Amino acid sequence: MDPVENGTKISIRKVSKIFSGKQGEVTALRELSLDVNEGEFVVIVGASGCGKTTLLNLVAGFDAPTRGRILLDGEPVTGITPECGMIFQHYALFPWKTVQANVEFGLKMKRMPRSERRNRAAKFIDMVGLNGFETTYPHHLSGGMKQRVSIARSLANNPKVMLLDEPFAALDAMTRQVLQEQLVRIYEKHRKTILFITHSIDEALLLSSRIVVMTARPGRIAQEIVNDLPYPRNADVQLSNRFMEIKRTIWESVQAEVMKSMEVETDQR
Amino acid sequence: MKDHQTGKSLIIGIASLLVFLTIWELVCRKGLIEPLFLPAPSKVLSRAVKMIDNGQLIAHTLASTRRVMVGFMVSSLVAIPFGIFLGSFGFFRAVFDPFISLLRPLPSMSWIPLSLLWLGITETQKYAIVFMGSFAPSLLYIIEATKNIDPLLIRAARNLGASRVDVMREVILPGSLPQIIAGLKVMLGIAWTCIISAELVAARQGLGFMIMNGKEYFQTDTVLLGMVMISITVLIIDVIFRRFERRLLPWTQ
Repeated sequence: MDPVENGTKISIRKVSKIFSGKQGEVTALRELSLDVNEGEFVVIVGASGCGKTTLLNLVAGFDAPTRGRILLDGEPVTGITPECGMIFQHYALFPWKTVQANVEFGLKMKRMPRSERRNRAAKFIDMVGLNGFETTYPHHLSGGMKQRVSIARSLANNPKVMLLDEPFAALDAMTRQVLQEQLVRIYEKHRKTILFITHSIDEALLLSSRIVVMTARPGRIAQEIVNDLPYPRNADVQLSNRFMEIKRTIWESVQAEVMKSMEVETDQR
Repeated sequence: MKDHQTGKSLIIGIASLLVFLTIWELVCRKGLIEPLFLPAPSKVLSRAVKMIDNGQLIAHTLASTRRVMVGFMVSSLVAIPFGIFLGSFGFFRAVFDPFISLLRPLPSMSWIPLSLLWLGITETQKYAIVFMGSFAPSLLYIIEATKNIDPLLIRAARNLGASRVDVMREVILPGSLPQIIAGLKVMLGIAWTCIISAELVAARQGLGFMIMNGKEYFQTDTVLLGMVMISITVLIIDVIFRRFERRLLPWTQ
């Protein structure tokens, strides 16, 4: 067991990830370190291609870091673990399973008895407001509903940590707002540790308790900001001076990174 | 509207068939074609009535159908799990690849001499021919179908605690099922080719035997009747298969 500060849930230590492909090696992450405490809602903001998703895949154990290590509750992550529930941008629902069966999936894998599974799934279907859709197949659902099923599926499995990879990016603005509010309510109720990725600064401000800005590739941490805006983050909060102030700070640092990544692209041409 | 359209197409289709049969009948009655080469449809029909009466037609049809079904079921029941397994593990795919590649191009006909040597003119030999003719191609269809699974779904399942065996049963099998069934439909047609050729060569019963026997006795109407029966039986089985498909794949509705 490694020495971990009390309450540190995820500890990312000097992690580098290098992909080797036909055009040589690409350094996606370089010596990135980040600690996420128990019950924190950390949102990582960064331009596209900065390695945000790579980082999340490493935490989930889908991929191994080239150098450095990642600890979950002080134990190194060595493979895919159900302790880190992942929510994908494109939902990843099983098309051949009904809403009910999708939500039950993780419990079925734990060999939980059918009736118990059913009750637990019903609770989370209710939580995301999908009562009445239990027997529906995913392709009959809208994008927003699919993402709610995916959130219920993850929560039903009771992970220690939730990892969300731009979960609302493919949704229309109205649906996105509804789901953001729903996620904040779930967070306030369950106090799960959440690591959330987005390229939207507004989304980061609405959801997070801490915001981490990533640099252009190779990804490192450019800036960390504690988001002390009060919950619920309603219209009043969104129009407050503090909101604008934090937004400006983040925007400046994100903008600098976007400019850098565009220069890199021009250089490569 | 759409039903109306298909109803209309059906009527046109039936009319077209009736016109064709009428012309054929007239040509034969005028004595323009030697009956030994092509008997009139009415002759084929009266042969059918005779053979239904003495029970032979049903017996031959059932014999062939049973052979196809047993051979095809055994082949599918082995090919589906084995194909899913090979589709999931690249190492084992590489181990078995040379054998599958060598077996696949062999027509089922080429197995007939060996199967007769090993098993004699038995029912088992018929099942074996259907099995050998459909197993390797089925296996390839199934391996191919497993490759089209969205890798994201496998990740999602693993992330929810599924083991690799769970992934095969819960993700790869249902995810590739629509394609597997499409492949098996084609294989069912091939299974019929296998059994008819096996029966043409050596059998005491079945539609292939009936056709060959008809030819031996210059009963061209029996030959034609056997061919018509193959068509009708395959069509009926296809309809049943489609029903079955809808029940197996409720999410594709």
